[in-house]
Amino acid sequence: MILSDLLGSPVLTADGERVGQVVDARLALDGPPDGFMVRTRVYGLVVSPHAHRSFAGYERTGVDAPALIARFLSWRARGSVLVLWTDLASFTDDVVRLRPGARLYSPRLEHSGP
Amino acid sequence: MKGIFAVALGVLTAIGGFVDIGDLVTSSLVGSRFGLTLGWVLIVGAVGICLFAQMSGRVAAVSGRATFEIIRERLGARMALANLSASFLINLLTLAAEVGGIALSLQLASSIEPALWFPVAAIALWIVIWRVKFSILENVTGLLGLALLVFAVTVFFLHPDWSALGSQFLLQPSPHSNEAPATYWYYAIGLFGSSMTPYEVFFYSSGAIEEKWTPKDLKQSRLNVLVGFPLGAILSLSIVACSAIVLLPKGIGVASLFETALPVAQAFGKIGLIIAILGFVAVTFGAALEVTLSSGYALSQFFGWPWGKFRRPAAASRFHVVMILSLLAAIGILFTGVDPVQLTEFSVVFSAIALPLTYLPILIVANDPGYMGDQVNGKVTNFFGLVFLGIVLLASIAAIPLMIISGAGA
Amino acid sequence: MRNDRELPAPPPVAGRVLDADLELLDRQILDPDGVPISAVDDLELSTPADLARLDPQHPPVVQALLTGPILMTRIFGGRLPESRFIRIPWSIVTRVGTVVSVGAAADSLDASWTERWMRDHVISRIPGGRHDPE
Repeated sequence: MILSDLLGSPVLTADGERVGQVVDARLALDGPPDGFMVRTRVYGLVVSPHAHRSFAGYERTGVDAPALIARFLSWRARGSVLVLWTDLASFTDDVVRLRPGARLYSPRLEHSGP
Repeated sequence: MKGIFAVALGVLTAIGGFVDIGDLVTSSLVGSRFGLTLGWVLIVGAVGICLFAQMSGRVAAVSGRATFEIIRERLGARMALANLSASFLINLLTLAAEVGGIALSLQLASSIEPALWFPVAAIALWIVIWRVKFSILENVTGLLGLALLVFAVTVFFLHPDWSALGSQFLLQPSPHSNEAPATYWYYAIGLFGSSMTPYEVFFYSSGAIEEKWTPKDLKQSRLNVLVGFPLGAILSLSIVACSAIVLLPKGIGVASLFETALPVAQAFGKIGLIIAILGFVAVTFGAALEVTLSSGYALSQFFGWPWGKFRRPAAASRFHVVMILSLLAAIGILFTGVDPVQLTEFSVVFSAIALPLTYLPILIVANDPGYMGDQVNGKVTNFFGLVFLGIVLLASIAAIPLMIISGAGA
Repeated sequence: MRNDRELPAPPPVAGRVLDADLELLDRQILDPDGVPISAVDDLELSTPADLARLDPQHPPVVQALLTGPILMTRIFGGRLPESRFIRIPWSIVTRVGTVVSVGAAADSLDASWTERWMRDHVISRIPGGRHDPE
């Protein structure tokens, strides 16, 4: 599987309600050592109801300058959420479906991580 | 003492480097039809290019990354590819115009058909890019470009009516009432595009990496930009003024560089003409080098290839192949028989259209602490950056409609 | 309209977290000498055993950085056969920052094939290609 298979795919809840499109995959570098690296897994997907692609990730990094552009792009990516891999039920026909009771988390990067 | 030389060199190179065939043609053309009433555009353009060249140089010096690498990282591959395609095509157009400019200048000197000079110019360009060190390339052409100071001197020697010139510059009404407003604004955009050339920003940031700038070099860079570019704009303004003084009253149109040089010939005779031609050849050759390198930089940086004149050609093979192909494409364009002066006029307008593509990413990256650490843009820089972004967006959107309405400035 | 300040923070991770598109994709890849190799054009992940019933215990694992023709299928659509993938194994990546550093020399990687070809068949044939400029 390649990353661009996931990016842009629509995400639906268990009831078929649309959450948005996959704009990013959050990776966790918390596995055992693998060569120079550690085993890296897909931790979750960043899903946005509006933007087709995150433009410079303004809504996640907290960079707020230049003010006008930051405001516009954050607005465009408003409502972005993070869904965990454990809450994904299936990925077929280019559609990601969530499990019943899947939780939506904040996509802000400073909330994830050690 | 050596320090002062280095500083002076940087500034002088920037002055000579500011002017290219677009400035030469557009400035003299605008002067011959509108007098000095479009002079304000040069001032606005100079402020804009200072702001963004300095920003792009700062980004390169602090982050160690050049413009197109960052454009792809921040805007994503799709938008960067669109940006690259547009920029690369306009670059080719500009390159053809610059090579055409070299040929036009050499025609002035030798009375030999420009078409015969095209291949000579291309081969000379390629040899310089292939074998000459980056800093020598920059400094020699920049310094020789200072020959264009003869235009500034000419303005005084022609004993113009200063109050008339002043009122044209400040008050705006066109001396010829048969020039439509649409035509005025069309040429305003062209003049704007010729001062704020997109390739300049790619070139400046890549050049910073070529010369291995660190944040310590930023002071020198600021000096080069803030002193050199405005002085370069004054050179262009002198060309406008010369045309306003000599060509406008007689209704002489600019069809080749001969008309551009006419005021100097009038004031100083043959010796003046020779100096002007030297200046023309130097700035067009220098600009052609910069545009060729910019094509190589843009494509290589987008795809992540090794690039740079600081690498042996064998260590940056695709970079050099792209430049060879660009030169061949430029010659190809010229051999279709297109008039180099008209080609130049189109290339500056299309440059104006492409400006937002270049400037928006720079503004975004200059604010990113991931690349800039604590050297992100201050509020004042951001304010002016956003203002200019607005201006370039306006110019970009208005260009094609104005081209249609004014019949491309006919 | 959800305000992201109202959303809960996700469970913490005992290691670094990286957003693939934001921080990995389209980044420059450099070898240990700082020589550019290419950009990260896509990412190869392990394919889950059953895509219709995803196993929460076995998320996809990053296997390699991808470069080359995959960029065009990523932008324009279409499918590149896996045999034509140009891979840089994830295990040789040493650092992910504003650039991605790998631990193997550029010339030793598949990814530099086009560059080496141009060097050997075009640039070397032109006099002066192997020398530093003066």
